Amino acid sequence: MIIDVSENSLTFEGDLDLDAVGEHYKQLMDWLAKNREKNIYLDLAHLNYLDSAGVALLDELYDKAQKQGTRLHFVAAPNNIQATISAFSSRHIQKPEPKPVFPLFERVGQWAYQIWLEFVYLIYLVSDAFYFTVIQLVSRKGVRKGEFSNQCILIGMDAFPIVALISFLIGFILALQSAAQLRQFGASIYVADLVAISMTREMGPIMTAIIFAGRSGSSIAAEIATMVVTEETDALKSMGLNPIRYNLVPKIHAISMMMPLLTVLSMLLGILGSMVIGITYLDIGVKPFYNQVVNALILKDIVTGIIKSVVFAWLIVLTAAAYGFRTRGGAADVGRATTASVVTSIFLVILADSLLGLIFYFDPTSPI
Amino acid sequence: MTNESDNIVSVAHLTSGYNGDKVLDDVSMVARENEITVILGASGCGKTTLLKHLIRLFYPWSGSIAIFGQEITDMDEPEFNELLLKIGVLFQNGALLNSITVSENIAIPLEQHTTLPATLIQRLVLIKLGLVELSHALDKLPSELSGGMRKRASLARAIALDPPLLFCDEPSAGLDPVTSESLDRLLLKLRDDLGMSMVIVSHELASIHRIADSIVFLDDGKCLFCGPVNEAKSAGIAEIDRFFRVGEFG
Repeated sequence: MIIDVSENSLTFEGDLDLDAVGEHYKQLMDWLAKNREKNIYLDLAHLNYLDSAGVALLDELYDKAQKQGTRLHFVAAPNNIQATISAFSSRHIQKPEPKPVFPLFERVGQWAYQIWLEFVYLIYLVSDAFYFTVIQLVSRKGVRKGEFSNQCILIGMDAFPIVALISFLIGFILALQSAAQLRQFGASIYVADLVAISMTREMGPIMTAIIFAGRSGSSIAAEIATMVVTEETDALKSMGLNPIRYNLVPKIHAISMMMPLLTVLSMLLGILGSMVIGITYLDIGVKPFYNQVVNALILKDIVTGIIKSVVFAWLIVLTAAAYGFRTRGGAADVGRATTASVVTSIFLVILADSLLGLIFYFDPTSPI
Repeated sequence: MTNESDNIVSVAHLTSGYNGDKVLDDVSMVARENEITVILGASGCGKTTLLKHLIRLFYPWSGSIAIFGQEITDMDEPEFNELLLKIGVLFQNGALLNSITVSENIAIPLEQHTTLPATLIQRLVLIKLGLVELSHALDKLPSELSGGMRKRASLARAIALDPPLLFCDEPSAGLDPVTSESLDRLLLKLRDDLGMSMVIVSHELASIHRIADSIVFLDDGKCLFCGPVNEAKSAGIAEIDRFFRVGEFG
């Protein structure tokens, strides 16, 4: 584009396209800003080609000129150029009204109302989940055949190797770290007590729950969220099926069964990991170590661990469902829902663990 | 008689498929400059597959594809990316990015591939949305739009850079007749005013009658005809006759 500039006129030549506009935009705006003539003429007679970027530039010049009190005239535009300007000019397009900004008080009110709606929604979700979980035990309707076994494999069996490995290593590390301290007091044998109690009461349930939150919770949230954004849940509803019952209940059943099983396994493998340290590093025999573990544990340790695992399982699956079913939009929202589900469920698991720890083991009458 | 240099898209002996199943069988076709070429045929005949080969989303088993006279099957990535700047694509389901607003979707190619200042980009976005009659939806998320509106917004994104070549996969599918007609008028305006060439996959007969300069008729992965619409009707090919006859009588 060659521009011939004089005081009150400008001549364009050649092509006024995307590249030319990018190149000359600043120069033209500066020229217009400096020019204070009442009338300015843009000679378009020698323009060969004009695209929508060129039209946008002409519109921008026109609007800017108008703001500074100058009248801009397009002169001698050939028919094809004139047609392009009328086809693409943005001057007649009405911009939508900007969204109203509410005052602070109203925004706080909206925010509080939103939280209330979320709370009501959660109550509905949890009650529906409870209701259908119980109903499903006696009626097989509304769920795909074989879905429970399928979910048991996906949620439980497939998680077994990672749960087993991490639990073994946790027991191993706990024993190694505590052995270094206890050995100084000739109390090496108490490594067995320490690991057995911590694995059954805390580490077993909580490590399994964290693995489940990261592995199964995220996949449940992503699956449900994707179903929502691709209207699969709407399709289920249109077929007279409840998405919670169809999609969530088999997962709740599966996780409620597999999580305690894997938690017990995690406890055993953690103790096994500590036994390796006991035998190889502390020279404690298999039998004395085993006897020490059996003597240290009481039934309550294992039962509370299992109860915790069921509570954690429900927290994980309901958090995933809550985020999944609330997802709107597209791929990025599915990602956000998944991340939020994992972070929230891990937080809730730790919070619930603290509360359950207080309920099961806090005794104000016992001397410290 | 048309000159070979007028061909903006040339496909020769293209054979391709998925997982060993042949979908396109020795397809040859051309699309000429400043024309609207419609690829048509029954569902599952390979129309979309052919279109995806033209933008190299799929690679052929054999044959050649030339866009703007350049062979794309063996073109290296940076060179092909340069070529893509001259091509706009409208996907069957719109394919807008759902996490950003409609105006941000349309601004993507302008921000990434031009040096235009932000004010001009905003104005261009408004122009494109005005063209597809969606200027009121500037700040809406794609999920807040209807299917037809999403498709129109997607068209606005496809023409953001005023590409000389536009590929559209079923632009009228799922649209009401009035919206479909106004979309067709827009495509004609783009051809006439900006000189855009288009390759459009469609089986909407009314739309084909309105916009097609030439057609490529596919049947079971084979190209039965490639040429002007009026010649197609008098070519005496049973499948094409049946397509037009059944389409006209519903």
